[in-house]
Amino acid sequence: MDPDRDDAGRLRRGDTSGLAGLMARHQDRLFRYLRRLLGDEAVAEDTFQQTWVQVAERIGRYDARRPFGPWLFAVARNLALDHLRRRRPESLDEGDEPMAAMGAEGDPLERAMESQRRARVAESVAGLAPLDREVLSLRFEEELALPQLALTLGVPVPTAKARLYRALSRLRERLLAAAPAEEWR
Amino acid sequence: MSGHVTSLLPLAAAGALDPGEAFRVEAHLRECVVCRAEAAAWRDVAGELGRLPAPKPSRALVARTVEAVEERLAERAERAWNRAALGFLVAFAWTLAVLSWVVVDLVNGVLALRLERSVGSSAAWYAAYLGAGWLSAGAAAVLLGRRAREEGRIA
Repeated sequence: MDPDRDDAGRLRRGDTSGLAGLMARHQDRLFRYLRRLLGDEAVAEDTFQQTWVQVAERIGRYDARRPFGPWLFAVARNLALDHLRRRRPESLDEGDEPMAAMGAEGDPLERAMESQRRARVAESVAGLAPLDREVLSLRFEEELALPQLALTLGVPVPTAKARLYRALSRLRERLLAAAPAEEWR
Repeated sequence: MSGHVTSLLPLAAAGALDPGEAFRVEAHLRECVVCRAEAAAWRDVAGELGRLPAPKPSRALVARTVEAVEERLAERAERAWNRAALGFLVAFAWTLAVLSWVVVDLVNGVLALRLERSVGSSAAWYAAYLGAGWLSAGAAAVLLGRRAREEGRIA
């Protein structure tokens, strides 16, 4: 039995224990995705909350024959893109100025080199355009295969592949600009 | 040596090549040191992407979210109940209106018999009854309209 399907069924009947199950399984992935796509903690939190409210309201539209994850991410994605369009209607395809790296963990004195390198990658990712951050997050953090990635983005597989290629190329350009001496030459 | 496969290497590192492309890249890397170095650099980038710090939702955020969802579900359940109750009441009112003709006619006949004189036509009594009914229904419609507008603002 698919636990997502069972919990979605409970939520459809108004039983909030279904929501608890769905959240327990998907909340971390969803928040990471929103944080990456939106690039802002507070906005990601608002969108996270709105996403679950919409999930509860629209659970009747969820087709239980399909996996829950992509549907959840599609709901979140629509909300996030709406927000980004309102904030910066000209383009979702242009990068920001690099932002502070997110939550680098551990003692920076211990693993200094590794932390520095990781922070540089995080900064470079944060400086990418929202759609570039999104595709990288879905592929490398959510580990979606190309067909699932395309499904989540709502585009054909070749388009998803092209976006992935473009995002990686832009990321490497930024990494090289930030630290030309490192090994991603 | 065949042509370089530089343009395929980012997607190779991302595991996003189709089998034909992957085969071509593998074959080329076996004999090309330049592309092997380039592939290693892309693998580094891909590896770092998989190890980025993972932000998690705070407990407070999760609690706020559950509360917001429960509130919304409660509102939805209340609206559904109200709609069902109002639907029942409207149906009940119409049923009463239809049945009341029989009752008015009967009462009118009994009164006329008791008083041994005419008390007016049943149709007139029924028209008065219906008039009162329509006034009540009008007031109810105004109240319902207000409620619907309020619900529209909530939703």
